[in-house]
Amino acid sequence: MNTEILTLSQWLSPAYPIGAFAYSHGLEAAISAGWIKDAADLQDWLSDILVHGSGRNDCILLRAAHAGDVPVGDVNSMGLAFAASAERQRETLRQGAAFVKTTAHLWNMDDAPLIYPVAVGAAAGRLGIDPTLACAMFLQATLSNLVQAAQRLMALGQTQGQAIVKDLTPACQKMAQDTHAATLDNMASCAFLSDIAAMRHETQTPRIFQT
Amino acid sequence: MGGGIVRVTADDDGRTRLGTLRQSGATKLVFPRQTAKDIEAILINTAGGVTGGDRFELDATVQTGAELSITTQAAERAYRAQSDEVGRITTRLCVERRARLNWLPQEMILFEGSALTRTLDIELASDAELLMVEPVVFGRAAMGETLHDITFRDRITINREGKPLYLDAVHICGDAASLMARSALAKGCSAMASVVLVCPDAATRLAKIRSLLPPTAGASLLAEDTLVVRHLAQDSFLLRRDLVPTLEAMSNRPLPTSWRL
Repeated sequence: MNTEILTLSQWLSPAYPIGAFAYSHGLEAAISAGWIKDAADLQDWLSDILVHGSGRNDCILLRAAHAGDVPVGDVNSMGLAFAASAERQRETLRQGAAFVKTTAHLWNMDDAPLIYPVAVGAAAGRLGIDPTLACAMFLQATLSNLVQAAQRLMALGQTQGQAIVKDLTPACQKMAQDTHAATLDNMASCAFLSDIAAMRHETQTPRIFQT
Repeated sequence: MGGGIVRVTADDDGRTRLGTLRQSGATKLVFPRQTAKDIEAILINTAGGVTGGDRFELDATVQTGAELSITTQAAERAYRAQSDEVGRITTRLCVERRARLNWLPQEMILFEGSALTRTLDIELASDAELLMVEPVVFGRAAMGETLHDITFRDRITINREGKPLYLDAVHICGDAASLMARSALAKGCSAMASVVLVCPDAATRLAKIRSLLPPTAGASLLAEDTLVVRHLAQDSFLLRRDLVPTLEAMSNRPLPTSWRL
């Protein structure tokens, strides 16, 4: 029995109290703008976020916090400076703070607030959990959360939604492995329209999600 | 190859004066006019572009209380590189206490086969002000130029008192046209600009700037005094057309003549 998987599965489950359900990472604005119209569009968009956008950077941040070669505070401020907009800052700060609050209490760890991928990386490092596994499960949880968000915003059946998670799970694994040797200097994003959607969401009314 | 070092200072009347100027190789800096207060510098690449193996470096310092605007004489061009060669453009800008820098280069136009690594590092003092734009054109659509084999690595770092304030890195390697066609990247747009404004009244300018943006651009506040814009356009003409009013709304002085349409 693998304890690592069970611990990660608890941390990254929708039941873990970080409020992930409140954040759409700009999906709400992208759907409203007509940039995502159906399941195929959604899958393309989420794949871009994973491979070319915040998914890849989150893996690099998680790994850097896990490795501990760079002080975690410096990793955290770099990750925050990379956030493309006010709502991107908010979603990573709030989920990270909530993750630290619960995790520090239960596992007796440092309770200084961190952004979300850095918080998960630091906690996984503390428990000696494999960072590649943590990255893959972190990405899949993010993906799953965004599919759930989309189901509240567009016509998307449960099976269609889970098909997207299934189809993109290999990409989560690949990204987790491909960032194996990446350092903070390798962070990059070209998910420009995803960033723009996050910015435009700030003035969207009415809206369901915080981001 | 080219290099430039420029340092401007403020005199006792608050008027900006040229302190140091050193230029070498293909890099030239000219100063077309000097208004009552600030200095405008125009950066010229007499080689007409950048290719593999080229090295261009610029160091600019705006000393306490001074104000400098830097633009380029023309759009910069990254031409086809020999295999295994990468052109490098390294820019370091330092803005001291109560000083302001307007970094307003024209577009970087990437051509098929280009290989370019660019870094822009900006160090701000606690109360330094900055307006920065970096427009990039991934092939001139109107000229039928599509990019299928490029290496473009671009990194912008803005630190304030040594701490990261804004970080942005773009890596587009390989088939740029296919990448830019992807939905969360650019949906087929071939021109992109990043804009950053750091000044005390940034927050009060947000609503006005948002009203000027097309649907493929967004603006946000990273801090009360830090406003960012990400802008996509079909081509370089439309990018410039839509950027000019945005930059005018962020600028405390008229834009350099090179930016007028």
